[in-house]
Amino acid sequence: MLGFNIMRKNILFLSIMFCALMINTLQAQTTKIVLKGIVSERATNLIMPGVSISTGKPGKVIAVTNAKGEFSVAVDEGATLTITYTGFNPQIIKLKADQTTLNVLMTESNNQLTEVVVRGYQIRSKETSTGSSFTISGDQVQDVPVSNVEQLLQGKVAGLNIQVNTGAPGFRGSAAIRGLSTLTVTGTGDDSFLQPTSPLYVIDGVPIDADKAAEYGYNTLGPGVSPLSLIPQEDVASLEVLKDAQATSLYGSRGAYGVIIITTKRGNSKIPRVRYTTNFYVNTPPKLRETLGGNSERQSKINHILANAINEDDFDRLTRTFFLADSLNDYYNNSTNWQGIFFQSTYNQTHNLALDGGDTKFNYKTNIGYSSEKGVIKNTGYDRYNMNMNMEYNPTERFRFFAAVNGGVGKQNKGNGSGLLQTGVASNGQASSLLPGPSFFQSSAGTLASLRTLNNNDSRNIRANIDARFQIIPGLWAATSVSYDYTSDNEDTFTPAAAANQFARVYSFNGRSSNLYNRNNLSYSKTLGTDHNIFVNVFNEMSKETGQAGLIEQVKTANDQFQGPLGFDAYFSRGGGVLPNFKNRHLASFAAAFSYDYKKKYIIDLSYRLDGSSLSGLENPYSKNPSIGFRWNFNKEAWFKDQSWLSYSAFRLTWGRNVIPNGNLQSIYGLYNIKGTYNNNPAIGIDYGAVPNPTLKPTTTSQYNLGFDMGFFDSRIELNFDTYFKKVDNLLVDRYLNNTTGFERVLSNDGGIINYGYELAVIFRPLPRSNPFDWSISLNGAINRDVLTKLPAEYNGQYIRRDGSQYIVNRVGKNTFSNFLIINQGVFGTDANVPVDPVTGLKYQTGGRFFQGGDPIFKDVNGDYILDNQDYQITGNSMPLITGGLSTNVNYKGWGLNIYGSFTLLRTILNNALADRFRIMSDPFDMRSVVPLDDLDTWKQPGDNSKYPYAYDYARYGQINPFRYDQTLWAEEGSYFKFNTITLSYRFTKQLAKIVGLNNFRTYISANNLITLSPYSGPNPENVTALGRDASNGYPVPRTYNIGFNVEF
Amino acid sequence: MKFQFDKQMIKALKYKPLILSLVLLSSVAAALTGCKKIFDLPEEKEFLSNKINYGNKVFEPVLGRTSLMGNLNTDNSTVPLKFEIVNARYGDGRPYNDIFQVQKTYVWTAPYDGLETSLAQIEAKRKLEDHPMFEVRSSGQFIMWQSSTNDLIAPRPADSSNLEQDKRLFDLKITNVGGEIILKNFQIRPWRERLYEPSTDINPYTGKTARDPNDPKNPNKRDYITPGFNNVIGVETNRGLVNDATRKDLVVYIRPFTGGTGNSLRFKFLGKDSLPINPVFFNETKWDFIVHGFNKVMTPQYVQYDVAYPIPVINLGTKYAPSGSQARSIFSYSRRGFGGTMTTANIELNYNIFKKGDWEIVFHFRRENPKFQDE
Repeated sequence: MLGFNIMRKNILFLSIMFCALMINTLQAQTTKIVLKGIVSERATNLIMPGVSISTGKPGKVIAVTNAKGEFSVAVDEGATLTITYTGFNPQIIKLKADQTTLNVLMTESNNQLTEVVVRGYQIRSKETSTGSSFTISGDQVQDVPVSNVEQLLQGKVAGLNIQVNTGAPGFRGSAAIRGLSTLTVTGTGDDSFLQPTSPLYVIDGVPIDADKAAEYGYNTLGPGVSPLSLIPQEDVASLEVLKDAQATSLYGSRGAYGVIIITTKRGNSKIPRVRYTTNFYVNTPPKLRETLGGNSERQSKINHILANAINEDDFDRLTRTFFLADSLNDYYNNSTNWQGIFFQSTYNQTHNLALDGGDTKFNYKTNIGYSSEKGVIKNTGYDRYNMNMNMEYNPTERFRFFAAVNGGVGKQNKGNGSGLLQTGVASNGQASSLLPGPSFFQSSAGTLASLRTLNNNDSRNIRANIDARFQIIPGLWAATSVSYDYTSDNEDTFTPAAAANQFARVYSFNGRSSNLYNRNNLSYSKTLGTDHNIFVNVFNEMSKETGQAGLIEQVKTANDQFQGPLGFDAYFSRGGGVLPNFKNRHLASFAAAFSYDYKKKYIIDLSYRLDGSSLSGLENPYSKNPSIGFRWNFNKEAWFKDQSWLSYSAFRLTWGRNVIPNGNLQSIYGLYNIKGTYNNNPAIGIDYGAVPNPTLKPTTTSQYNLGFDMGFFDSRIELNFDTYFKKVDNLLVDRYLNNTTGFERVLSNDGGIINYGYELAVIFRPLPRSNPFDWSISLNGAINRDVLTKLPAEYNGQYIRRDGSQYIVNRVGKNTFSNFLIINQGVFGTDANVPVDPVTGLKYQTGGRFFQGGDPIFKDVNGDYILDNQDYQITGNSMPLITGGLSTNVNYKGWGLNIYGSFTLLRTILNNALADRFRIMSDPFDMRSVVPLDDLDTWKQPGDNSKYPYAYDYARYGQINPFRYDQTLWAEEGSYFKFNTITLSYRFTKQLAKIVGLNNFRTYISANNLITLSPYSGPNPENVTALGRDASNGYPVPRTYNIGFNVEF
Repeated sequence: MKFQFDKQMIKALKYKPLILSLVLLSSVAAALTGCKKIFDLPEEKEFLSNKINYGNKVFEPVLGRTSLMGNLNTDNSTVPLKFEIVNARYGDGRPYNDIFQVQKTYVWTAPYDGLETSLAQIEAKRKLEDHPMFEVRSSGQFIMWQSSTNDLIAPRPADSSNLEQDKRLFDLKITNVGGEIILKNFQIRPWRERLYEPSTDINPYTGKTARDPNDPKNPNKRDYITPGFNNVIGVETNRGLVNDATRKDLVVYIRPFTGGTGNSLRFKFLGKDSLPINPVFFNETKWDFIVHGFNKVMTPQYVQYDVAYPIPVINLGTKYAPSGSQARSIFSYSRRGFGGTMTTANIELNYNIFKKGDWEIVFHFRRENPKFQDE
């Protein structure tokens, strides 16, 4: 986009010059008329300065529109005019006799081949690039306010799988390009967290690490603000997603998971202008659980107990359970809506002010933004303050200088949760409605912790970069770029005494990280003869990343009023100090790219990059990232010469490799740890958990891509198809050692995954360009299959992660992550349906109890008529098979309507939300609210043929465990189609805007996360962890309604 | 256009490259979709762990009883697993196959619950089926069926030796789709039949009467089955009866009798002179709950029921067999003791009888009869 603007400016400049020279010739001609008119853009109705109007063959520019988009020119009567502007479709208009006014609507050229792409920090024409990438213009991420712009990419790029699985303001969902790239699962059980493999983000030529805030999974320490959440969406000019290895290999190891390039806006107005954007929006919590309130809850529980008690003690226990029995007690005679206490609708706003001006020689831009989002869970929220400035200076054709400073502050309030998870809210939201509502002294500690914890987090980021380039001889450019990125993270939490076992608590975290980055490059482009074009690009990159964080925690402080200063006390201090995420990394890289094309018809790209990283094992510090690509623009062949229906067409074939060093200092050097005390002094010794492995190899991702691009009928139909084969080798896997070694395990490289898939993107514009309606439909979809290819030999092809309540299994030859569950085959209708062991004569049993009517039919896999831990089976696939999106866009005069949706198909979700709903019934004596199960197909009486077992048999629950998590009853199809956003906008005509003294005025209403259609019976098929477990006790994704205004002065 | 093609032909020609390219595209796509082989993906293999094993590989069942043995750890191998006993041989290599003879044996088709009201109801819940006397089922558990007898299977030597050539060894072949594994050297050492429990009066090696453990060399002294009892006072000494290591006042014989229905169980009480004591003296006995039997016949000599064998039929806790594994019969009587207090005496036996037939359980008061009279 950057080059795009430069080109645009250049043409503007040239045409003015040209025009001035031509003026004499024009005057010499006869039968002239004076033609006047305005040129404006069709989609936005905005006037267009600098548009060239030419006539004759070959075309001579006779006029250029002025700053108001007007032109006035003397032309021959009935002349044929060509109106051109870079990036727009040229218009050829034949004047009628005695026509003196001409108003022209220009349409933006949507032809993908005229797009520019970025490869190895160099702007290239898409027509001559071999890699697979997709560009999204900044317009597409404007009209819906979000705290993280990434979520608006969902469903827009085939092969980019984004799941907005948390609604926590300022946090990111998950993003992955082309399937699975890791086997590493951290955390246990329901909190199992798949190591994020987010793409590398390159913002204005500076790479940043989007996963930085997520390196500890759910239990992120510190504010956890993603660097992406600090980019104001209003400042985004374009986003480009690089998918295949040819495109990413020049970014080296960090590009292994794909690259997303964000270009921010540049100044572009001769007259300085001020643009102001504001959004006012409402976030509403999703539908909450329907609970019984007050007496109906009490009656429900009492009936539940009386109907299912087995022995006398169960009845007696009811009388001892005061909150049920003592209905006259004020304390137990309430009807509190606990969910209402935690959830709220919030009113939020954003303001963004952009000032820009300048021309090709010098331009500048300043963007000041403020956005404030209060979370739908009380006591959470995210505020962002931004100031981004850049300027570009081109004193001569041969020298260009660009400088930018971006500052951002993200202030986050996580409440008492960790942000992503709000388990405190989830469990307290389930409290019995009989309990009195919260007040400082009459409430559970958890409630107070959620509502009264003072939490103050902020991330402050400042990023400065300068970029200078100089043309030494024609075609040979030397450039250098330096950037410095500094982030400081702070978190202060104060928990009042009533919320923390009667003693107040303070917690303080501070961290800082910085990245100093330098890149120098030389590029040379040359056309040999007329047909042979070569392009060479050589660059090196250096970066030094440092980071350190520390925390301090003190419990049992004096009182709620006194938050400090606090002294040190060996007993009450919970320690702290420097956290193990200390970082001091060095990366030095050298890269070269060579590109050759013949008549822009046959193109070959070669590139090679050498990455030296201080993170690699000692044995091989350098990783090598080669790539090769071919492209054949076959519409340029002679036999397509007269085929005007074919706008463009190309085959692409690429191969490339990205090598990622994936060790850390511990895996290479081992770890010392505190091992008790010796002579009352802490003793430090070798940690025998893992033996260091200096031969650790880097993970290697090699990828083939075969692509096909076509545009038909003046690009009214455009089609991109890609198929790829991605092989990830040397993945980290723990190997368990024989205990004679003294160590427990060693980190090895014996894992491997293959992803292969197909991606299709189609854009269809049903109406011709001359139609005042501008309508486009775009559809994209990607199928990705992952196959586990390798595990350490001693695993014999299968590894089961036995932790938590739902096991994960990896099996070679199958999809990488499957569930290992007990198979549920329905419900025993009557006692007689329970099978009998022919040998012992005993009924099918578990935990010493026989199954009976109403109990679930768990498949007795091994045939011993006892359900135990031998009866698990592999089932399901937690990774989605198909992802994609659908979007339609209609513009008519000033009106615009955009509807866009995304889908994820064929994935298994374990509906733990439903499991929890049933499990509440396991203990009617518990002070939890009752969620009626009337809407579910449960067993009620002998003979019922139902889906869900009898829910109320609490007395036998402990043994039968009918609602155990590890069963396939919860494994549901997680396909969904989501209407992401609907935006309706109106741009006031120039005249109307003028009346209120504005240059331009546009207003829009939009809604985000509107409806999700899904067969899934849980609350939200997207609010799911990367391993396919329902994360409803995480942060729900709100629905947003917005009204916004764009004003230009 | 120079050529004089008609419009249709021009049209056809015009779109030919389009069609061609679409064909090309679809064939490429088809090649990639259809031919996964070019990806060289590993085949999914069903998992058969090489750590699959049994907790114990030596089985010592008692013949004549249904025993379910073997504690298999499949290490999460993919089911279904197929098990096959192979290479059954003695320690010196001679093959044996006597334990694999097919016999009729009872298998359960419906659950026994202890609430059946007739013998026919119990019998309706099981049926006779042909099974090898020793087999392995799909769970990997070994079964020694009740149909096994001393005659069909040679039990372990009566001299309690365990010579190599007498050891019965076999291997187990385990297969699933993923492969095959052979676990070697299982051993089966059957005990000879003991038709009832407790069997303290039987020598398990020889099947003959067990000798007194306090005087094992004396062929004239024997060991007994002893019931539990309390408050039983001797009629002559007025002192409590005693069973201990040296003195056995009340013993039990479990023995077959003739003249029953083939499903009979009889309870008998003998005095010191081996004359029957009338069961009505046990006035507090709940005769209906003594055993899960039907058609009670009470005579001065005995009480007899029609019962389903074995007793208990399955290992399930019922009111007749609270522990599940053994039936329990309690005989009680009350009398007025010293000072006019009511004392209740109980005689209790927990037992099994494994073979169908006419059995009697005899309580023998060896030294003196119990005192039923009030003080």
